[in-house]
Amino acid sequence: MSVEIDTRPIWVILLLKASRPAFYLAVVLIFWGLIAMPTPEGLSIGGQRAIAIFAVCLILWVSNIVPLAITSLFAIVLVPVLGVLPKKETYALFGNEAVFFILGAFILAGAVMHSGISNRVALNIMKRFGGSPRTLVISIFLLSAFLSFFMSEHAVAAMLFPIVLEIAKGLGLKPGKSNYGKLLFFALAWGCVIGGVATFLGGARVPLAVGMLKETTGDSIGFLEYSVAVFPLVVILLAAGYLILTKFFPIDIEGVGSARAVLERRIKGLGKFSINEYATGTVLLFTIIGWIAFGEGLGLATVALSSVVVLFVFRLVKWKDIEEYVNWGIILMYGGAIVLGAALDKSGAASWLVKSSVGDWAGSPWMAFALFSFLSILLTAAMSNAAVIAVLLPVSLGLASKLSMDPVVLTYAIAVPAGLDFMFPMGTPAIAIAASSNYINVKESAKGGFIMFVTAWAVFNLVAAWWWPLLGMGYSR
Amino acid sequence: MKKKNYLHNPATLKIDLMLRGTRIDDPVVKAWACGSSGVDIMLPEKTLVNIPCSEEFTRNSPYLIKKKGSGYLITDGASEVEVSLVERPAFYNRRTASGVPLSSIAVVHGSYTVITPSQRCDFFNRSIECKYCAGNFNVTGRDGVVYSVEEVLEAVEAVLKEKASEIIYFSIGFSDSDDGGIEFLKPYILAVKKNFNCLVAVEALPPKKNRWIDETYALGADSVLYNLEIFDKELFEIICPGRATLIGHKRYLEALEHAAKVFPSGTVASHLIVGLEPPGSTCMGIDYLTGIGVVPILPIYRPSANRALRIEPLDTEIILPVYKHLYKSIKKNRINVNWVRDISMVTTPVELKAIVNGPRQRSIVDGFYKSRLGKKTAWGLATLRRKLRVIDREDDSE
Repeated sequence: MSVEIDTRPIWVILLLKASRPAFYLAVVLIFWGLIAMPTPEGLSIGGQRAIAIFAVCLILWVSNIVPLAITSLFAIVLVPVLGVLPKKETYALFGNEAVFFILGAFILAGAVMHSGISNRVALNIMKRFGGSPRTLVISIFLLSAFLSFFMSEHAVAAMLFPIVLEIAKGLGLKPGKSNYGKLLFFALAWGCVIGGVATFLGGARVPLAVGMLKETTGDSIGFLEYSVAVFPLVVILLAAGYLILTKFFPIDIEGVGSARAVLERRIKGLGKFSINEYATGTVLLFTIIGWIAFGEGLGLATVALSSVVVLFVFRLVKWKDIEEYVNWGIILMYGGAIVLGAALDKSGAASWLVKSSVGDWAGSPWMAFALFSFLSILLTAAMSNAAVIAVLLPVSLGLASKLSMDPVVLTYAIAVPAGLDFMFPMGTPAIAIAASSNYINVKESAKGGFIMFVTAWAVFNLVAAWWWPLLGMGYSR
Repeated sequence: MKKKNYLHNPATLKIDLMLRGTRIDDPVVKAWACGSSGVDIMLPEKTLVNIPCSEEFTRNSPYLIKKKGSGYLITDGASEVEVSLVERPAFYNRRTASGVPLSSIAVVHGSYTVITPSQRCDFFNRSIECKYCAGNFNVTGRDGVVYSVEEVLEAVEAVLKEKASEIIYFSIGFSDSDDGGIEFLKPYILAVKKNFNCLVAVEALPPKKNRWIDETYALGADSVLYNLEIFDKELFEIICPGRATLIGHKRYLEALEHAAKVFPSGTVASHLIVGLEPPGSTCMGIDYLTGIGVVPILPIYRPSANRALRIEPLDTEIILPVYKHLYKSIKKNRINVNWVRDISMVTTPVELKAIVNGPRQRSIVDGFYKSRLGKKTAWGLATLRRKLRVIDREDDSE
């Protein structure tokens, strides 16, 4: 039992308690208003209802007044109840590969934690970079980004999460209170996000966008071509991200040296590498290789779940050992977000939102580029990045021929920002995984993430304007 | 010097009776008092008192309880006052399913029923027990009995069914733990709160960390007592060596101050035993405790033949100003006086009003607090307050 007594005057507590029902009432009124208003031209009734659900979920996700997972379950309930999607289809969406990938990643992380290997790695990283809190944060930030060049950023976050958690616990940082604790988990999440846009391997969104581009126009983007185009963006965002994080969360510990004696004692206490650690480490290594080599073909979830099966076949872990590491809340939240994204997409609500907002403004190529990149980075804050691409890319490719724009450039305009969600856990699992530590919360994530959101969008547009012409790329054909 | 006559004022009479005790001239009253620490008598104006009658000093008491018609009276030889004998709770004659007499588990002291689930106090095992150790409840050393939760629940059910009192008062002796005994009392408090709509008071030792005080409130305790007993630090160290060495005078005051911030006004109390230190020192203690929002409760020291400490008790004339000071100090600090009331073993602040202002009239508020509706309201408000104030941090984590 961990209790705290609110010693403020009773009337203050009562007032604050009353604000909660008032907030719910306001949400209900907004929802009802959006449902009851006359359906705008070009939008189906299903689309209107999907937008109402989206608005309510966005408010609940941002306010965190109910647990994130419960908001997602609410979306899953509302989508079939309001007839936006059939119930069979709604619940089938929950079986999305991404959901199972996250589940596999949690189980793997649990096995790694349980084996003690993550503890050993964390302790050794701390020992290696123990001289300065600053170098420790930089190492986690860059390590996350670098690994995300080669494997899914989700997988990197899931893999490094237990290590960072061990470091935070090892330093005795208080969840939700310690600046340095926040810094460590934001470094992990943002490092993954920034690194994830550097190559095709960072996530499924770029291959998906290139596939759609090829289907529609016959054009394509090469692996190296893409990485060279976004390289300056990655470098600048890494620098900006570090500056913003340290500005928002100044380092509040004197050093990690004070824990050094404890660390050394603990490392000694671990003894030599056990067979279980070797075996679990080997499974993890093969999983990483599997993600890099077969991730796109077999699917990240397939690789992750195969590894989970191997762990159990060889009795490296028991179910009760990893049960506590599986964050069902995050799994439910991600599943719900996918359902909501699909509801917006399939009901035509997302397309309507894009058309009605962009149609009049996208008068010139650079304006279209700026707008689509903005919409992409904005929508990815609330939707899965694959859904953002599915919604925006067909519209933008249609607009490209109208404005005589290069569809390849417009593909970049959507595919790259779709991976740059720094604000909300529902947008990207890297943030969600970091948030599950309880060291950071949605409000803090939104606050710091908003500055990165603006920075990323501006830098991306500057890179397109100044760097791409040097590579022979331009807005127009 | 001519002795004053206290018979005309129930509040002063209560103090004098507690100090001098009484002789008994009636077999029924003698039977009542047999095996008890004293006899419970209802004085005029519904003032309840437990009068010592078996100790040696009571043989010289000027007071005598006599039968008069169907009732009783107390006389000092010169004048007399009509009183009534408080009916012995019927459950005292019953046993639990396991065969334990309910009277050994629960002892009624007016509005409070005292239950001491473990009668063990480690101070005795270390020979650092408090040297008076008679004002408290029957705690002892290594062989102390421990009652099960089921046995305690049976006793509480009997108390509440009979409406013998409305507040269940858990007490515990010293055990060498950080929590002051709360972890031990936890299942008892939770079980009582789960099964009955009654108020619970807890007398424990100050825990090492304040979070245990928060948890005491969160568990369901409506009132808490950390009994300092003696305000004078030097006398505290001499008379209470265990408390002084293993807890410390300072920690008592810190814990009481924190508890007063957590619990409702008037529900945090501490005993200051009158007669174990100079009256001036007790008054200083009263000022300090009321200043931090704590109700000082002033039991009277009763010398006992089988205790190590032999101090001559003070005279009523000397201690009356201390009680007056208590009442004024409580009023000055606006501490709620309606929680600590109608207790036979001590003079409560509500009764003290009669010492300062003369014999009192029962007000509507007094009547309301004693009514069934008043008791239900008190329980409801206490429960609501807890619901509003307690934040369970485990619920917040997602």
